[in-house]
Amino acid sequence: MANAANEKVDVVIVGAGASGSVFASVLAKAGKKVVLLESGPDWQLGDLISSDFWGRRVKPAGPPFLLEGKNPYGYVYQSGWGVGGAALHYFANFPRLLENDFKVKSTYGKGLDWPIDYADIAPYFDKVADDVGVSGDAKAEEVWRPAGKPYPMPPMKTFPGGDVWKKGFAAAGMRLLPAAVGINSTEYKGRPACIYDGWCHVGCPIGALSNPLVTYLAEARAAGAEVRAHSTVTRVLTGADGKKVTGVEYYDVKKEKQVQEASVVVLAAWAAQNPRLMLNSATDKHANGLANASGLLGKYMIAHFASNTSALFDEDLQPYMGTIAGQYFSYDRYDKNSYKDKGAFGSTFIVAGAAQRYSALGGVANARLDLFGADLAAFMKRAARGYTRITMFGEEMPALENRVELASDKDEFGMPLGKITHGFNDEAVALFNANFEQGMAIAKATDAKEVWPNKGPMPTIHLMGGTIMGHGANDSVTNSYGQTHEIGNLWIAGPGIFPTSGAPNPTYTIFALSLRGAENLAKNWAAVAG
Amino acid sequence: MDDMQRRAFIKGAGIGALAFTVGGVEVMLTPRQAQAQNVPLRTLNPDQAATLDAMGEALVPGAKAAGIVNFVDQQISIPAEDALLEARIMNVRPPFANFYRAALGAIDGASGTKYDGRGFAKLSPAEQHDFIDLMRQNKLDGWKGPGSPFVYFLLRTDAVDVVYGTMEGYAHLGVPYQPHIAPTRSW
Repeated sequence: MANAANEKVDVVIVGAGASGSVFASVLAKAGKKVVLLESGPDWQLGDLISSDFWGRRVKPAGPPFLLEGKNPYGYVYQSGWGVGGAALHYFANFPRLLENDFKVKSTYGKGLDWPIDYADIAPYFDKVADDVGVSGDAKAEEVWRPAGKPYPMPPMKTFPGGDVWKKGFAAAGMRLLPAAVGINSTEYKGRPACIYDGWCHVGCPIGALSNPLVTYLAEARAAGAEVRAHSTVTRVLTGADGKKVTGVEYYDVKKEKQVQEASVVVLAAWAAQNPRLMLNSATDKHANGLANASGLLGKYMIAHFASNTSALFDEDLQPYMGTIAGQYFSYDRYDKNSYKDKGAFGSTFIVAGAAQRYSALGGVANARLDLFGADLAAFMKRAARGYTRITMFGEEMPALENRVELASDKDEFGMPLGKITHGFNDEAVALFNANFEQGMAIAKATDAKEVWPNKGPMPTIHLMGGTIMGHGANDSVTNSYGQTHEIGNLWIAGPGIFPTSGAPNPTYTIFALSLRGAENLAKNWAAVAG
Repeated sequence: MDDMQRRAFIKGAGIGALAFTVGGVEVMLTPRQAQAQNVPLRTLNPDQAATLDAMGEALVPGAKAAGIVNFVDQQISIPAEDALLEARIMNVRPPFANFYRAALGAIDGASGTKYDGRGFAKLSPAEQHDFIDLMRQNKLDGWKGPGSPFVYFLLRTDAVDVVYGTMEGYAHLGVPYQPHIAPTRSW
């Protein structure tokens, strides 16, 4: 029974991050009554303090997930907590998947196929670019992808910390083009241009970076969508016959149980949290969790990894200037067999010249984790103005054993914790290593005085999969729009529906897929919600 | 609006003020100020504090004066969701005090095993250096607690935080901090 205060709405969206904000915007503008339930705070731009200390506040505190496997998935750095989700503090690199990402199984006999092609999603990349504002050189990118619309803004300014890599890439026969980023190089839609302070990763309070607070979520609120912060959803509720969802159960800011009934439920709570919720919502009609006839709910979790190569120059590179997104990017090792001779498989996406901070996880101090004491102090002085790096993101193939399950431990609301099990296979490890070799070859061809690989435990970056899209309930959880095969009014949004990941940062694709899904839902509302 | 207007240059603000308790009254201090004023600790006992102080200074010169003990002690005494520690980012399960107690105990235990019962704070600078070098490589005998490379990483990060992650730290390195919103407020 719904709490009297919670009148039934058209759609309840679980999670107010990148994907939830898009669904909220599209559906609210279509006249639907929309409620977003967000487990964290209702952050405002004024909360986004320029500090690596304070930036930790916009990320989760305390794992709702236990981490296991050969390469445990360290998720907090790239997860969101509160309105805006991870996109409140993302780097706003806006690379896109390419044509070779969509039929990996058919082409290479590995991984999975998407039920759609690049051409299906390409118009939505263009729409999102116009919606949120993307800076870059779309024409130049045609060396790697089909033509599309120009980006609405020219490329960002560059600084020496990025420019010095050109010589190394040229020597390797690789192209380095202005990075596409979701950051304003000029004023756009009333939002100011970036001032290149390098604090993107703790949240941009001036709105130059396209976080949801200044884009889709702002539009959703303007169209009447309601956001309820500190509202933690624990179950999706289904009707007696199990054919429809009827709403969600959640705990409000006072930690009191509530029910929000809705005609449609959209789970946009993150790739691992969505299957946790669906598994915890099992009923006699869905004994293995909602929409899990395939047995694939929570399976095929996918992570990126990164091989960073560092360089130290005598010159003043102004490394503190710019954005945390790269100044330049390259898809010149995007062929999934680029390093076949080294036993590797998967695409590589390369970013050069990100602005540097000096502390915290991605800071300069961690570029030499072996140093401490006086040696570290000396390194910091040298690196303060002379340090730069490139990042080579690698792709892993989806594997059944990389999964989310329910654990026996429970959280404060009595909901079982999730357990993420993750390990990279041999081909991914080979790609990780090959990218260090490539990075070192590039770095050695620059004018750097010192170069080194930042090689430590293989990192896990971004999380995708777990509720993959496909052709039917026998091979997947959702269709290409995010609608679950088995329960027509239960939708999934976000990177969880990716069957494979490619190598690029995922948020541009999350926005594009969510826009495609939300427009489809709005268009077919009567059939879905009826 | 020009760049200078949108940047808030505020000198000496450090990481911003945190809530410390002095004489039963809550006051807003930076960890450096709290250290200088010898603010009473809330959670760490004197032995744990001495170990953290010595370890922090050995990892990153300047960490002691920058208030690493007061910073960590204050941060593990507040709700996890308010904490600004790297432990939060590295998936440490709250309460974070449990991790620090275990980590500091492991350090002193292994130090005692290797150096005739002496805790880490009692070691000479050369012994401390050798100990840390083994600790980061997971090569210490008698280590009982969270993995030693992980402890090295997190305590080193805490020390880096208080020394280099502040406005003062950036100034010391000779690079501009250039915040949009300076870290002077407390949530």
